[in-house]
Amino acid sequence: MNFTKHTKIRKERFGAVVFDTLTEKIFVTDEIGGEILRLIEKGKDLTHIISVLCDNYDGDRQTIEKDVIEFTNQLKSNSIVRA
Amino acid sequence: MDIAAEDKKLARLTNPGPDDQLREILRGSNFEDYKAPLFIAWQLNSACNLRCLHCCEESGHSMPDEMTKEEALDFCGQIAESNIPYVAISGGEPMLCPYFFEVCEFIRNNSISLKIETNGEFIDEQAADRLAELKLRSVQISLDGATPETHERLRAGGNWAKAVSACKCLIKGGVNTEIVFVPTKFNYHEIGDIIDMAYSMGAYGVYTGKTMRIGRAAKNWDTICSSLEEYDKFFNILKEKADAYEGKMKVYYYPSDIIEELKYRLDQPAASLLILPNGKVKLISALPFICGDLKKQSLREVWQNYRLAWRNPKVVDFAEKVIADPQLLAQSNNWIEI
Repeated sequence: MNFTKHTKIRKERFGAVVFDTLTEKIFVTDEIGGEILRLIEKGKDLTHIISVLCDNYDGDRQTIEKDVIEFTNQLKSNSIVRA
Repeated sequence: MDIAAEDKKLARLTNPGPDDQLREILRGSNFEDYKAPLFIAWQLNSACNLRCLHCCEESGHSMPDEMTKEEALDFCGQIAESNIPYVAISGGEPMLCPYFFEVCEFIRNNSISLKIETNGEFIDEQAADRLAELKLRSVQISLDGATPETHERLRAGGNWAKAVSACKCLIKGGVNTEIVFVPTKFNYHEIGDIIDMAYSMGAYGVYTGKTMRIGRAAKNWDTICSSLEEYDKFFNILKEKADAYEGKMKVYYYPSDIIEELKYRLDQPAASLLILPNGKVKLISALPFICGDLKKQSLREVWQNYRLAWRNPKVVDFAEKVIADPQLLAQSNNWIEI
């Protein structure tokens, strides 16, 4: 996964803000969403992201996996990332 | 970790939402949640070769106290340090600024998205190539008519052929090019032709909305302002064209006027700063209030001032008066420091 060309990410106290500067749309997410964005920015794949979240947060792997997939699908449907 | 965005005003630079439920769920819905602005609208200079009847800034001559090149580049450094993702440079005519390209290069070398708003009259093939190298978010060219007569009537001193040529040079050079059209009673009927023209040239999009009643536009309001009936016709053509070009070219239009925008901003200020050529920072175009001076203060200090200023009773009171009496918009360039 890569961020689309004009997308910018900034870490904030509440999590992160995502700015698609081409469409001038702004999105916000919480701390965990911010962590996923940071890992995508580093070029990590879905399996790695899920492993990191399982290590760092409470919750069973199945639930975390489902949440991460939902989140990345939201990123894709809003053209923030492309596969 | 849901990702959430404002639904109704996605095309505007804003924070997510007018939706109270969303605000309760999610931090980041309020401009005060941000450590720095998300967007900088920077009027680099005041000099302009044109005297447009609808100019919001009353541009023409340089201000005597404009930021120097060193001050401008220092400000660029602060933008980069603050991790501000997006900057728009306008003027005056920004390409008349002697250090225009240096500022643009500094911004882009720091991977900040950059949009340039220009009349296009100084863009030949060579300038277009230089702009292309910057890999800009876009260049916006003002084209206020599908014919030279209409464009030049509104943009006094302007040259339609040069503006059109600029679009062609930019598009040929691979620059994301947007055409900006300001509707007035002289030109509203040509919006359909402008959109067709933009598509035939290969533009990325056309951007338009109601004329802002500030600056020289306020002074010429009775001469230029479209009637409600004319606006209806304008928006009907727009809608028809937006449908026709869906998936082929972006046609952006913002149906709210400056008063509706002010009402919204009073409740939900944007996480953005409007920088004047002399380094003073305005709260918003529609109001006269200055909340900082980048020649004397850091960007961080100005951002703090901006956040407080929106809650200042003097600002709130005056904004409410403007909303009740839009003629007060004419005072928007009579700056008041708070």
